[in-house]
Amino acid sequence: MVNNLNIEVSPVSRVEGHGDLILDVKNKKIEKLIFKIPESPRFFEAMLVGRKYDEPSHITSRICGICSVAHTCASIKATEKALDIKPSKQTINLRKLIYHHENVQSNVLHVYFLAAPDFFGVGSVVPLAETHPEVVNIALRTKKMANDMVRIIGGRAIHPIRTVVGGFTKLPTEEEMIKMKEILKSCYPDLEESLEVLKTLDIPDFKRETEYISISDTIDYALYDGKIKSTDGWEIDDQNYLDKINEKVVQHSTAKHCWASRDAFMVGALARFNNNYDKLTDNAKKYAEELGLKAPCYNTFMNNIAQFVEIVHNVDDSIRLIDEIMEEGLDEDKAMAEIKPGAGRGVGVVEAPRGLLIHDYTYNDKGRVEKANLIIPTGMNYANIEKDMHALIPTIIDKSEDEIKLACEMLIRAYDPCISCSTHLLNVKLVNK
Amino acid sequence: MAFISKNDSNKSGYTKKDVRIIGFGNKYRSDDGIGIRIVEELEKLDFFKNIEIIDGGTSGIDLIFLIKGCGKLIIIDAIDAGQDVGGVVNIKVDDVEEFIKSDFKSLSLHDLNLVDVLKLVKALKIDTEISIIGVRPKNIDFGDRLSPEIEKKVPQIISIIKEEIII
Repeated sequence: MVNNLNIEVSPVSRVEGHGDLILDVKNKKIEKLIFKIPESPRFFEAMLVGRKYDEPSHITSRICGICSVAHTCASIKATEKALDIKPSKQTINLRKLIYHHENVQSNVLHVYFLAAPDFFGVGSVVPLAETHPEVVNIALRTKKMANDMVRIIGGRAIHPIRTVVGGFTKLPTEEEMIKMKEILKSCYPDLEESLEVLKTLDIPDFKRETEYISISDTIDYALYDGKIKSTDGWEIDDQNYLDKINEKVVQHSTAKHCWASRDAFMVGALARFNNNYDKLTDNAKKYAEELGLKAPCYNTFMNNIAQFVEIVHNVDDSIRLIDEIMEEGLDEDKAMAEIKPGAGRGVGVVEAPRGLLIHDYTYNDKGRVEKANLIIPTGMNYANIEKDMHALIPTIIDKSEDEIKLACEMLIRAYDPCISCSTHLLNVKLVNK
Repeated sequence: MAFISKNDSNKSGYTKKDVRIIGFGNKYRSDDGIGIRIVEELEKLDFFKNIEIIDGGTSGIDLIFLIKGCGKLIIIDAIDAGQDVGGVVNIKVDDVEEFIKSDFKSLSLHDLNLVDVLKLVKALKIDTEISIIGVRPKNIDFGDRLSPEIEKKVPQIISIIKEEIII
């Protein structure tokens, strides 16, 4: 039991990118709690200025190796809106299909490789491969499945290149569509086994209600498209995101903090689950129920479980999408929409695996970017991470310093923060023990 | 360091089909993009036309899949192995334990770092010959060009890769 605590976790490991947590507790009261991003911000917004309409999606896909499809799609949607380009339904369905598998790629990586070692009490995925090889092998098979899907549709498993403004430069063949369906069906035994493993995890009992924001659709469990919806009761068109989403610069971070109805909000799998539970497939709902995940859920640590439930949904809904695309027949004439470069402003909003992602471009009459604004999910979660810390620490203050440090790290990791998007790794400091 | 040796793998007997080359990095972070830049150069050369060349971006875990089923993997990356800026190292990962002990930093990967991936490779008992050709960057700020000091190393790096795969 400690009265005073001075912790610095520097870096917090197993998150994407690089960041620090500094915590100073005196007489059991938090004197200082800073979640700090030490690296310089990514100046992709500036890099986009002056670029031709077909360049931003390729450039922004490089912001992150994990969320490249999300950045590609947000970018494409912003450009298509700005230039009034209307992609075919076939294009949208194929985008939804590739999108499902970036979500699987990323959620598998986070649930199994980055978060699971905490729950199994091992330091990283490396000892996990020794103690629980079956878990690591399931993870690898599922990741490979998603990689194969992304490669077949996008031409490459990492930074796919066929998804462009207006449509696809090359369509998958019918044989490939059939093959994808077989690949998807073959992964159910691994999902079942994962369910049994995840049921055994001891998820920390923590609760802090906040505002949860995601996109939402009347039919789909929205990932690729939808209105922006809040659990605080509002819903707006994605083009009007500035009506609700606010950003401010904070002194201790090079990433901006965001707020909407309150002083902080959460985005990501748990926010999507809370807003869109009823759009999940029945199978995914069954998995959620077996794992004790019910909407609304206010336990941030359950974000990892929501990510797994989404994997089930992604697989189920991919099979449905393939059937729909095949029924209508793949049509080369619908692969690319007509493009007339010109002036305009467009906003592309998607759900990156880590949450809401916004690209906002203004084009001049030469079809070149005049202004770009990108808001990334981890940036939106920063303020909420600090609020969660303030709520969590008093509940664990009687534990040992190591336990407190681990709990803080686990909480931050639960958000699956991709700090490399907004900047770059996470370090934790408890100061003044 | 015992695991650093120069171009002594020609005796391996691999054919070009058994070799994969992967470049890591972010081409919009200046010299961090050296791996991707090399991939783009190799794709233009006849010598490499029967070899699988992969733009690995910044995703570390996918290295596992690229290592599996290949005889030899050549990784190109921005690496600080204690050499001078612009210095090129050719690291043979013969002994992962020894490799891990070194003060070696891959600067490019976002999810699992290269050392973690190599530990995982060992834990999963994947047996592939791995060479890491690393260049110490001068600048990894945002930008789409290599520093002149790094740019001029491109031909040297390509020569080292060729030597690595000549049977």
